[in-house]
Amino acid sequence: MAPRTPTLIQLLGLVVTLGAVGVFSLFTLDRLAGLRRLGSDIVDRNRRDSLQLIRIQDDVAQLGLALRDMAEGTEPYPLPAYRPQFARLKGDLENALEIEAKLMPAARTAPQQKLLEGAFGRFWDQMDKLWALAGEGRENDARALIRTRIEAERATMATVISRLLVQNNEAEAAAVEQIQAIHRKVELNLYALLAAVLAAILLTGSLVIWHDRRMFAQVALLSEQRKELAGEVIRVQEDLFRTLARELHDEFGQVLTAVGLMLQRVEKRLPEGSGERVELHEVREIANQTLERVRGMSQMLHPPVLDDYGLEKSVEWYLRQFEKQTGLAVHYEKIGVAPWIGDSVAIHVYRILQESLNNVARHAGVQEAWVRVSYSPEQMEMNVEDRGVGLPESPREKGLGMIGMRERAELLGGRIAFEKLAAGGTRVRLAVPLSYKGGKG
Amino acid sequence: MHGRNLIAAGALLLAAGASSAQPPPQPGFRLTDVTQAAGIAFRHNSGAYGKKYLPETLGPGAAFLDYDGDGWQDILLVNSMDWAGHKRRRSTPKLYRNRQDGTFEDVTRAAGLDVEMYGLGVAAGDFNNDGRPDLFLSCLGQSHLFQNTGKGGFTDVTAKSRLAGHEGFSTSAMWLDYDRDGRLDLFVTNYVRWTRAGDIFCSFDGKVKAYCTPEAYRGATCWLFRNRGDGAFEDVTAKAGILDTTCKSLGVAMVDFDNDGWPDIFVANDTQPNKLYRNQRGASFAEVAVKSGLAFSEDGRARAGMGVDVADLDGSGLPTIIVTNFDNEMMGLYRGSKGGVFLDRAPQSGIGQATRRSLGFGCFFFAPDLDGRLDLLIVNGHIDDSISRARPDVTYAQPPHLFMNTGGRFLDATAALGASFAAPKVARGAAYGDIDNDGDLDVLVTTNNGPAYLYRNDLAAPHRSLRLKLTGAKSNRDAIGAVVKYEAGGAHGARTVRSGSSFLSQSELPVTLGLGTAAAADRVVVAWPSGYTAAYQPLKAGTSYEIVEGRGIVSAVPYRPAH
Repeated sequence: MAPRTPTLIQLLGLVVTLGAVGVFSLFTLDRLAGLRRLGSDIVDRNRRDSLQLIRIQDDVAQLGLALRDMAEGTEPYPLPAYRPQFARLKGDLENALEIEAKLMPAARTAPQQKLLEGAFGRFWDQMDKLWALAGEGRENDARALIRTRIEAERATMATVISRLLVQNNEAEAAAVEQIQAIHRKVELNLYALLAAVLAAILLTGSLVIWHDRRMFAQVALLSEQRKELAGEVIRVQEDLFRTLARELHDEFGQVLTAVGLMLQRVEKRLPEGSGERVELHEVREIANQTLERVRGMSQMLHPPVLDDYGLEKSVEWYLRQFEKQTGLAVHYEKIGVAPWIGDSVAIHVYRILQESLNNVARHAGVQEAWVRVSYSPEQMEMNVEDRGVGLPESPREKGLGMIGMRERAELLGGRIAFEKLAAGGTRVRLAVPLSYKGGKG
Repeated sequence: MHGRNLIAAGALLLAAGASSAQPPPQPGFRLTDVTQAAGIAFRHNSGAYGKKYLPETLGPGAAFLDYDGDGWQDILLVNSMDWAGHKRRRSTPKLYRNRQDGTFEDVTRAAGLDVEMYGLGVAAGDFNNDGRPDLFLSCLGQSHLFQNTGKGGFTDVTAKSRLAGHEGFSTSAMWLDYDRDGRLDLFVTNYVRWTRAGDIFCSFDGKVKAYCTPEAYRGATCWLFRNRGDGAFEDVTAKAGILDTTCKSLGVAMVDFDNDGWPDIFVANDTQPNKLYRNQRGASFAEVAVKSGLAFSEDGRARAGMGVDVADLDGSGLPTIIVTNFDNEMMGLYRGSKGGVFLDRAPQSGIGQATRRSLGFGCFFFAPDLDGRLDLLIVNGHIDDSISRARPDVTYAQPPHLFMNTGGRFLDATAALGASFAAPKVARGAAYGDIDNDGDLDVLVTTNNGPAYLYRNDLAAPHRSLRLKLTGAKSNRDAIGAVVKYEAGGAHGARTVRSGSSFLSQSELPVTLGLGTAAAADRVVVAWPSGYTAAYQPLKAGTSYEIVEGRGIVSAVPYRPAH
């Protein structure tokens, strides 16, 4: 069954997270709008209203001071002299009351408003009486009116204003309490959202990690299987080559050798210079050439030297063969003492050498190559180097040969590297542990 | 005076421009302390003996006047006195006659001013139009009107002029012809209703007495006295609509804010809204300070108004009013508009930030560098000598501010004007006048319970001026209220002949026109209080002109050579 991709889970997690954020944002906006309403409708309005009430209170206090001066008669001026001062205060009061009426909080009841207006109305009515008395020269009566009525009315105004201010303060305090409650709720919701988002991130992340681990395990398994398969293919291939080589060498080789000997014997029996002898000689030559080609093919498929003399001698033998076949000069260098390296390892090293030098011959466009093999008790290293055109940039162009070399190196538990040299050319570096037992080749 | 509007001040501070960040301007002049050299040996006696009576904190005022008509500015210094029962010495006002050689002569006794009184302020004006300036000395208790005899002396005509019986806590006073009848009327501000018997115990710590704030006392109305023309005055306070017993007034200035030719009156109140009395064509006044934006600070609080002055800073015909306030309140610099509404531009002008720690008293616009632009002097000093114990960031003695007008912004150049001038003082009164007739303006500063300082202007800038002494004919003889407009070298300006202004003090009446580097004023137009207007051109720099209403220039005297 094909594994499910994590995209769906991630998308689900994203949707959950965004959904939580969206829901909370809407909720928060709603709360904030509520706060704004509270702020503007109650708190701001109350404050502006209170400012007007304070202004009225101040004016009422100023009226009180002026009334006291008038009642005491300490200033050398007749009572009507105070009229401009009262007119100015009245003007300011009327203006303040007009603004206050517009800002009046919703909590204000009709009787309260009536009380406020009534108090001011009665005060100015009494003041009109005072000015009338003063105008008639009845200053004492006017002063008595201040003491008996006007000051009382003024005190009523002051009391009403004070009560309204207290009411505003209480309403403001309640609004502030409401605002604080909203703040607390928004805060709690913020924590909830944070927890939800964290949980969503945790869940999504866990799912993705779990899925990735599964995928990695599958990839590792597939890789292992592929390695095993590749090893098996190579092993089968090598067995086949070995069998074919043996068959070619032993069967066809023997047959062709026997055919050659038989033809030689027959040829000797024919008279010299006869046409039959000449033709038979040609047939024997063909048989010999075929024998050589069969032997060559057998050696190419699986050089017997590998089985007989090991890797070191096989390398030397192959290099000579290679130089002979291709005309390239190969500079060979051996470092260290080579231990016995059996066919199971040697065949792969040999194949890698073969492939590397073939690549030089086919692609490098040079006439020289360098091969250096160094041995130590733990591992052997082999470098094949040329000064040619270098490796192709595209992995695709590197071909199956290099993949095969890598697989063989892996089969040996070794490392192979294809290096592009700075001065131009390619170096194939192979390192193979000699104690590696995992190889199945 | 005792405004505690810290929140208001704080809010303004945030908006204040950072004038201190700019380099100090080069003022082009220095103010040299010539007090001793000039023979001014005055010391104010507040009478303080530990009881901390409120009146002790205010005085004294000072005035420049040419009492003897010799064309040289003389000096009047107001004095208070010891309290009854605590007499230690005799203290009287001092009149110093200008000897025309840089020195002054104490002529107090000869002038008949050797009179003890609890004096606070002074206003000099020729109320009887005889060509000699008379003196009104505002006092705690009965104020005094001294009539100039014309023979080098003064006669106390308080009773004769029917000013007797008006006892109060009188502070600044101002001569003006509010009804434009050609006779100077008198406006007197009163602070609070205070008596020794009714003194209230105020304290920072509940133990040691401190000076009370004015909130502790009931307010008192200002007075307006109409000059009847027969040597007597009529109290028209009530009739003219001035009566307002909630006022706690310290400063007064004349301002024709609506440009109708009728002088209006601005009153600076301490912890109470300022007042602007709009002149209703000489019949009465309407109080319009709230409507015009002058009553309160920009955040709607009544500040501690003390000193005040008015000037047309840009020749636009629109007045700007400076009001000195308590520390942490900033000064108010109210710029008028065509609609009659004022806006406080102190923060934007650079004055707000620079004055936030200053408790200002005397103040005036003048052009000490003669560059044609009006600069601003503010003198400062706290009211309580123990203030540093209660508020360590505030000092009793405080340096003055001389703000140079850079064309919209003001930069404090005090530090560049001389060590004596820049030294912290407990300053109160301030006035300007040209004591040496060299065409630049010298400065007089008084200090509470301390000496008076006379500073000679030593001008280094290549600027010139001309001076005008205006004499009214149909208008009041001092031409108080006359507006002089002038053009010189492409610049233009306007000056008003004024009494009052500053704090308890009065500057000289002649007008000095700073011309910058121009050799003459191209055109000078005088709008006399009577309504008569006349133009004069050109008027040469370096000359003192006397212009008589209806007659024109009657004399032109070149300045004395500079020192």
